Amino acid sequence: MMLLKAVVYATLAYLLIPLVVIILFSFNAEQSFSFPINGYSLRWYALIFEDPQLGQALVKSLMIATATAIVTLVLGTAASLAWLRLGRFGRSVLEILCITPIALPGLFLGVSLLVLAAQLGVRLSTVTIVVSHVVLSVPMLMIAMRARLALFDRTLEEASRDLGASQIGTFKRITLPLIAPTLISCAILSFALSFDEFVVTSFVAGTETTLPMYIWSMMRRTVTPLINSVSTLALLFSIAVMAIGFFVGRFKRASALSERASS
Amino acid sequence: MNNGTSAEAPLIELSNGQKQFGLFQALTNINLAINEGEIVTLLGPSGCGKTTLMRIIAGFETLTSGTLKIDGKDVASLPPEKRPVNMVFQRYALFPHLDVFDNVAYGLKVKGVEKEERRRRVQAMLRTVQMESLSHRFIGELSGGQCQRVALARALVNGPRVLLLDEPLAALDLKIRQHMLGEMKRIQLETGATFVYVTHDQDEAMILSDRVVLIDHGQIVQVDRPQDMYFRPRSLFAAKFLGETNLFEGKLTVSGIGQLSLETQDGPFEVVSNDAAVSGNDAAVMSVRPEAMSFRQSNAQLDYAVDAEIADVIFSGSRSFFHLVSLGGQKFRVQVQNMPGAALPVAGDKVHVSWRKDSATVLPLSRISS
Repeated sequence: MMLLKAVVYATLAYLLIPLVVIILFSFNAEQSFSFPINGYSLRWYALIFEDPQLGQALVKSLMIATATAIVTLVLGTAASLAWLRLGRFGRSVLEILCITPIALPGLFLGVSLLVLAAQLGVRLSTVTIVVSHVVLSVPMLMIAMRARLALFDRTLEEASRDLGASQIGTFKRITLPLIAPTLISCAILSFALSFDEFVVTSFVAGTETTLPMYIWSMMRRTVTPLINSVSTLALLFSIAVMAIGFFVGRFKRASALSERASS
Repeated sequence: MNNGTSAEAPLIELSNGQKQFGLFQALTNINLAINEGEIVTLLGPSGCGKTTLMRIIAGFETLTSGTLKIDGKDVASLPPEKRPVNMVFQRYALFPHLDVFDNVAYGLKVKGVEKEERRRRVQAMLRTVQMESLSHRFIGELSGGQCQRVALARALVNGPRVLLLDEPLAALDLKIRQHMLGEMKRIQLETGATFVYVTHDQDEAMILSDRVVLIDHGQIVQVDRPQDMYFRPRSLFAAKFLGETNLFEGKLTVSGIGQLSLETQDGPFEVVSNDAAVSGNDAAVMSVRPEAMSFRQSNAQLDYAVDAEIADVIFSGSRSFFHLVSLGGQKFRVQVQNMPGAALPVAGDKVHVSWRKDSATVLPLSRISS
């Protein structure tokens, strides 16, 4: 038991220590990356706002990640509905087709997307970045969704029809609310995936610069603590998104109950 | 086989119904009329087509040919949501993201029933199924029996002309099952809805139904009141499916005008060729219920008798079960109501077993199913 506990804590530490280090150093008053830290300041945060290029790259990345999450969500909803209605064979085919891109190294995916864009005469832009990110995030969404949807009971849809709801009404009132948590967590995941994607992006970005690309080019010149503050903000942002998802669910339930009690 | 018992038009009327799934013939030549206010059970072994028949009435499947009328109207083109029918699903299919109240309110909500009216009707229905105090519970927090009550309430609150129940007690344990059977009868009386109940359990069918529709291999075998089906089965399948029975197998020979004799290992039994579709030179069986047989010696009014030896006795409180072997080698069972102080035979005893003519049914052996 002791050993098991030790392993759990070690694993957690292994996962979390890099994050803690980044957060600590983001408040470091000095330039150097060395312990002990002599004094704290917010200068690296202030610097973010003084670097217009960094700001632009951040905004661009947020836009791309948001667009990726939305497109993935729409495609994912459609794919899950199809998945629910397919037989065993159809499900396997759909899964194989959707999940294949994940087996392909990003490098080759980047090259092939670039070649495709050139063949089609598409100008490299934010749009090509979003398209590439969707190609990356859909397989991941399919994997995450498959396990959850396998538990979905289709007689619930029949019960809803039986009680007088139309096909669309059933989707709105039963199917969607039940698959929504899975879809939302998938959307958050694809947002995160897109936000820090670098390899594929570098092929299809053209003249655009996303945050990971900007950080990378910055790092090539010199390692600056600015990276720590940017990363900390990004981390905070991710946690906030997940927390909002959690509390929205809670709030809806509470307000529904109080509404009924008052009537 | 239109067994409508009232002069009014039946509430549900199936004529020449056929259903095929690809090459599989699921239902053949279904003719059935169900009257308002009846409890009708669709009974049969698993895979016999009873659930398919129910899903056709609900609108989840369509007939390959034939007609289905509900309340005199052909409903072939109506989707499930437009039919005056509600269903209780086998595993309840309660909505897990809604609580008890919202589950029951669902049907009224999608039909646009006004909020105050909706609340009143849901609460009245929750009272009927005795789930009022748990209305804020989520489905995951309920026991099997409670889920059952919610499923009933969710369907009945819509005031359906017909309530379809698909093996609703299959997921419950024996004790709750018996309690819920009584509850369902009470709720049916209170609401006056017509119940169409699918089960493979003959006890549920007999306890609950006004009429039983016995189905085998996609065909209706017999439609009767439970007591008629039990005492007057029209086929070997019906005799074996409902309750336990002893079968004396033999060959029919003509022994007089309108008189047939069933030649068995235990000698001839004189039978009257009546409703059973049997005639001379047919292989046939005589079906006798174990409780219709007795060990009485004075057999003045008892028509048939065999001599047998008792192989085994099982005492089970109110009753005793005797396993016997006749002199002709036929194995059979006798069931006797236990009385304090009554002297009953024991294993190894030679006994004289007799039964009355009207408790025996002679059935053709030609079509043995199952």
